[in-house]
Amino acid sequence: MDFKENAFMYILAFVVIGFVVAESVFFIVKAWKRAKELGIKKETLTQTVTSSALFTIAPAIAIFATVIILASSLGIVLPWIRLSVVGNLAYETVAAQTALDALGGSIATEITDPVQFSAVVWVMTIGVAFGIFLVPFLCKKILNKVGKVVHKNEKASRLGDIISAAAFIGIIAAFIAREINGKSPANSKIVDNAGFLSIATLITSVILTLVLETLAKKFNWSKFEPFVMPISMFGAMGVAVLLTKTLPADIVQWTWWS
Amino acid sequence: MSKPKKSYMDKVHIWGKIWSFTALAVFLMLPVSISAYNNAWPAASVVFSALKSIILIYWTSSIVEVITYTPMLGAGGTYLGFVTGNITNLKLPCSLTAMENAKVKANSEEGEVISTIAIGVSSIVTTVIIAAGVLLLSPVLPKLNSSTVFKAAFDQVLPALFGALGASYLKKHWRIAILPVVVGCVVLLFSPEMGVGTLIFITIVTSVLGAFAMFKLNWIK
Repeated sequence: MDFKENAFMYILAFVVIGFVVAESVFFIVKAWKRAKELGIKKETLTQTVTSSALFTIAPAIAIFATVIILASSLGIVLPWIRLSVVGNLAYETVAAQTALDALGGSIATEITDPVQFSAVVWVMTIGVAFGIFLVPFLCKKILNKVGKVVHKNEKASRLGDIISAAAFIGIIAAFIAREINGKSPANSKIVDNAGFLSIATLITSVILTLVLETLAKKFNWSKFEPFVMPISMFGAMGVAVLLTKTLPADIVQWTWWS
Repeated sequence: MSKPKKSYMDKVHIWGKIWSFTALAVFLMLPVSISAYNNAWPAASVVFSALKSIILIYWTSSIVEVITYTPMLGAGGTYLGFVTGNITNLKLPCSLTAMENAKVKANSEEGEVISTIAIGVSSIVTTVIIAAGVLLLSPVLPKLNSSTVFKAAFDQVLPALFGALGASYLKKHWRIAILPVVVGCVVLLFSPEMGVGTLIFITIVTSVLGAFAMFKLNWIK
């Protein structure tokens, strides 16, 4: 049996993934109890659960797609473990690729040497572990400092809200810019240069969200509001499929960098 | 004299530290047990030479991520988010959307609990979807991977996600949003292959400095 997908690897996967699920359940239960003490309505909490679950579906399927991409060289189990915990889409691909580069291998071909495989696991794990290590030391300090600043007076609190929104807008801006005119690195296994399709999907998603949000407000569909974002995402992805199927390939596949 | 009762926030930090250090131990067990089971220990020099470039990028961005995301995610959300991963592309948007829907602020205890529940649910759903995909779809994976419909749809998940997310934020804060988007595009004109991790750093700094200046100039209130 392939050492990358034997029973031992599946046992490891269940241990690591079981741990992550246990931690999630623990924090949900504690937060739920506290929310009740704070007087947050049960309806708000169940809506949070529903909208978060719906919101997660499309990105989670995209994460699964990365598992498939990495599976051709690393087997299915290691990418499954790595993308269920700590890592993220971009990191895992780059980390695996960098490790294999250093070992003289390539992510495009299957790893058949157990030592090479172990080396990749070491590199991927140590490379990403630093964030978890930092959080226990910094989290309380950062939150206390931010709390002190934003609770100083009303103006400071308003500035705190604006800075917090601006930081998040900064994140969104990077991804939007990436989809408008970004380019995949030359040696990347996943080629997703920006062009016609990424811009069309981006614009469709923006329009759908704005239209659905306006309709929800106008007709007072408060229960529909949590569904606006997931529906817009799937709608935009649907339009991407439709464009791929109906338009000539040279238009659909056009990118700034092709 | 009895000790004063610990607040919910104090308890979250204690639980978070315990879970985070246990998580580190569990995750580091992975390479140790794989190497031991296969009796395949790579040379330390090989691992370190590969780690050199990764550490430079990812450990630096870890510091930036912890500082930037912690105030937005809250304590429980941060401890949970950094263990379960996929923060930028999933947990952070999910948490902020949940807080927005529940009409609570990130820096309040109400925001803290809503963010924690959102990130917890998102982690479980992600785990279930990936596990179901791996266990149920393994036999048809090669077919699925080459299916044009599946590929066309999920190649576009990021513009779909950030378009939907951007729409409501950009509408509400359009004055703040213009500058970082333009700066991001201009930077990519000169350095198109720049990784999103580095680009995020540039756009966050631009966005925060721009917003701060606009607040001081009374352009935004």
